[in-house]
Amino acid sequence: MPQIRIFKAESFRLAALFAVAFLTLTAALIGTVLWIVDGTGREALMAANESDISTVMNGLRAEGLDEAIEVVQQRLGTPASGPTLRPRFAPEMYMVIEDTRGKVLAGNLPFVQCADRPQRLLGRCATLTATATLYVGRDTAAMDVTRQRILHAFGWVALGTCAFSILGGLLLGRRFMAQVDAITQTCERVIAGQLNERIPLRGRGDEWDRLARAINEMLDRISALLENLQQVSSDVAHDLRTPLTRLRNRLETAREKSTGIADYSAAISHALEDTDQLLSMFSALLRISQIEAGTRVRTFAPVALGVLLERMYQLFVPVAEDCGRHLSREFKTALAIRGDEELLTQLFSNLIENALRHTPAGTKIRLELVAANEEIVASVIDDGPGVAPEDYDRVTRRFYRGSSSRTAEGHGLGLSLVAAIAQLHGARLVLTGAQPGLCVGVVFPKPS
Amino acid sequence: MRLLLTEDDAELAKSLIERFREQGYEVVHVGDGIAGLREATCHDFDAIIVDRMLPGMDGLELVKAVRLRKATPIIYLTTMSGIDDRVRGLEAGGDDYLIKPFAFEELLARIRVMTRRQAPGAARLFAGSIEMDLVLRTVTRRGQPVELLPQEFRLLEYLVRNVDRAVTRKMLLENVWDIHFDPHTSVVESHISRLRARLNANGGSDAIQTVRGTGYRLLAAN
Repeated sequence: MPQIRIFKAESFRLAALFAVAFLTLTAALIGTVLWIVDGTGREALMAANESDISTVMNGLRAEGLDEAIEVVQQRLGTPASGPTLRPRFAPEMYMVIEDTRGKVLAGNLPFVQCADRPQRLLGRCATLTATATLYVGRDTAAMDVTRQRILHAFGWVALGTCAFSILGGLLLGRRFMAQVDAITQTCERVIAGQLNERIPLRGRGDEWDRLARAINEMLDRISALLENLQQVSSDVAHDLRTPLTRLRNRLETAREKSTGIADYSAAISHALEDTDQLLSMFSALLRISQIEAGTRVRTFAPVALGVLLERMYQLFVPVAEDCGRHLSREFKTALAIRGDEELLTQLFSNLIENALRHTPAGTKIRLELVAANEEIVASVIDDGPGVAPEDYDRVTRRFYRGSSSRTAEGHGLGLSLVAAIAQLHGARLVLTGAQPGLCVGVVFPKPS
Repeated sequence: MRLLLTEDDAELAKSLIERFREQGYEVVHVGDGIAGLREATCHDFDAIIVDRMLPGMDGLELVKAVRLRKATPIIYLTTMSGIDDRVRGLEAGGDDYLIKPFAFEELLARIRVMTRRQAPGAARLFAGSIEMDLVLRTVTRRGQPVELLPQEFRLLEYLVRNVDRAVTRKMLLENVWDIHFDPHTSVVESHISRLRARLNANGGSDAIQTVRGTGYRLLAAN
């Protein structure tokens, strides 16, 4: 029922409100204009009256009452004697000289009575002599006509404005409705489960496009999170099943085949190892989801990356030596960033451990910290076998383990954790080939 | 040694009590927070083990309330592994934080370290033939100087302060390197083996004993 809906539209209501406001203002304006026009008209009429009075007075002063009567008759264009004829049209000007008994000495009043309309006169009297009084008046019909015209003109304008407002309101309302409908329909489709639906952009860069883009981005984020969640649950289901199955088999074998304490004890040790592995997977997953929730940002503090990396270097030098890798470092900046020291420690520790565990003995691993343009880049670079460029995206996925590292220990969550921590710090994780080897760079924005 | 255990999981409590008794501890067990607070304030214990999520009274509240009256060492034993949970727990007045599931040896080692007599801020530490000067940052063994890197010095200091007590890898990571996650490489082992080599450079018996399944112990008789 679009007719009813349109009247409920905010834009239509606004247009109606504006129309009412405009009408009120117009009425006030008309009142003012009429008041001014009336005043001006009256002043003009009175000025004409005064001028007539002074002409008559001049005659009177020069040659006496007869001359005054003459002047009046000349002004009225009537013969010097005889009764005043009733004119066909009401005259605009009235002049009368009366004596004290009310006898008309000259003039067109009150004998002139016009039948076609009631008349209103504006005028005054002036005393000529002790026995004669002059009355001068003018018809206000012309003023009334002007007033009528003004009223008419304003009436049409007001009508036009009202029509325009209502029409505009309706059109605007329809346009609003169309946009709101587009967004509502998309939202309804998303609610119904079509998560890939997006609001079409009109490409005008207006406020509707901005709103649509914001909603689309929100939907993107939500569906990415959802996808992530689905990915995690399926990964969890799949990847936890494997070690759980192994654990179960081990326990079953122990129950069926074990013959002595030594067998049982070995089986239990293995089972404990499996359990620990499972638990570390769980805590890694939990940690990733906590980091991705992003609440940790509240406690960000300045962290000197150089100091942190030096600490990491000192921590890992012995273990690198023990497993036949060579660890070195090159820090070219001492800039601090805002971050979470504990998480950043884990980030670099994971990257270094990855380099230690997924490379052959004899590999050289270098920690690098450089400031470039508006960025700070911390990298862990090895000259090992590297990762195929097509796998760069996949290595940060949960539980992904390169085919060559199937046998290496670990739960495949290391780089996912790294990616999550980097994202929390507004940093990018950049994987590039190091010819040979792999360079994992964490690109932090320079603190402003 | 008397321990107060506040734990609402009856089965876990039972197995803990049993294992603590084997180690010669006397354990008082309560299943809820209010009883825990009553026990903790009315009687003296050497250490208190607190679950974060207790019926009656939240573990965090319990620790805050106990701290108002007593300085008994408190360790949390909890499934709350959230990133901020540890910080919040320690800020409330706890001394240590252990996340379930855990190895009993880990808990035992932490309680032993917690309940040791806190030496006043001495400038020199001794452990058998090892002598550490914390101000000059020097170490001697049998009077012979031992050159140590700063990290090795901190590692040795922690071992010496807990002489004759087993300390776990986790405890070393937390206290020496401030690392609160499990590295996948044998970081601690590598550092220990270097420290060992330096301490034993001038001959003599191995001062650092490896405790199987737990961690390490610096022997007083070295």
